Amino acid sequence: MKKEKKNNIIMTVIIGVVCIVLFAVMFMQFKTIEETDITAIENMRETELRTEISKWKTQYEETAQLLEENRKSIQEYQDTIEKNEEASDLIDQDLANANMRLGKTDVYGEGIVITLNTENYYMEDYYALLELVNELRYAGAEAISINDARVLSSTSITQPLDDLIIVGEQRVSSPYVVKAIGNQTYLSSTLSLKDSGYIDRYTASGMEIEIETGKNIEILKYSGNLEINYMKESEE
Amino acid sequence: MILIAIVIGCILGAVIGIYAPMVPYTYSGYLAIAIIAALDSVFGGLASTLKKNFDLKIFVTGFFGNAILSILLTYLGQKLNVDIYLAAIVVFVGRMFNNLAIIRRHYLEKWDNHIDKKKENAGDIKGS
Repeated sequence: MKKEKKNNIIMTVIIGVVCIVLFAVMFMQFKTIEETDITAIENMRETELRTEISKWKTQYEETAQLLEENRKSIQEYQDTIEKNEEASDLIDQDLANANMRLGKTDVYGEGIVITLNTENYYMEDYYALLELVNELRYAGAEAISINDARVLSSTSITQPLDDLIIVGEQRVSSPYVVKAIGNQTYLSSTLSLKDSGYIDRYTASGMEIEIETGKNIEILKYSGNLEINYMKESEE
Repeated sequence: MILIAIVIGCILGAVIGIYAPMVPYTYSGYLAIAIIAALDSVFGGLASTLKKNFDLKIFVTGFFGNAILSILLTYLGQKLNVDIYLAAIVVFVGRMFNNLAIIRRHYLEKWDNHIDKKKENAGDIKGS
């Protein structure tokens, strides 16, 4: 009788323990399932992960393609920019040339220096200067100055009074030092033609003319102003 | 007394389960299999109680043994890349249905017997 009771108690306790274990585990599981975020990557099932990965892969490939295209267009832009740079280099070159021609900069180069020494017959001097400038231009001079006054295509050489010669805005008087940059052989040979040449003619009329050639003749820039007030570019 | 033990055990277990720390999601699969195995044992125990051949040793060893074995098999399946846990679920759930059928039949028989007895009793009264 006593043994049966003891057995009964043991059975009750064991079944109770089994129930505790079963329900504890079950509720733990319920809680876990409920509170776990199944959309998080760590908790996804394999198939879900696979679809997700393939999705990302396609997206990655698309993005890579896009990147490649963008790189190409960037390359094209850079090519264009380089071309533009070449063009702007050319334009800079043109501008520098134009500035030199306009006399905005000091220039140097091979050429000749002619010194006219007269005894102040201004009338004669005036024509001598005009003719000299013309002859030099004809011989291909790229830059000319008279007593360091730059002679441009727009520069006037005038004689408003008998004893006053003005080159541009500057008064000049004997001795006249005329510098010209150009092919020194052409320049000097044009001037020193025998008999009919400039030097021979004016020497015959009593002028002292010295001519020097040089590799490094320096001509100063134009000192006046080059503003344009009236003319405008006509539209084509 | 056993009934009281079951009820108290259930409530206590639920409370412990609610306040226990969370299991990592990776291991919750194993836990689920263990629960299925344990439930199978419980139904087996109920069925055998009704058949009056309940053995506590068999029940307890089955309860814990099946749970642990199913966890191990699931783990092995994962190592082998075979879903062994599916087989375990099929077996356990199938057996659960079997046991449920036994329990159901037992009570249906009891019910039928009860009704038959009532009819007999009524016939006896009329006949007398």
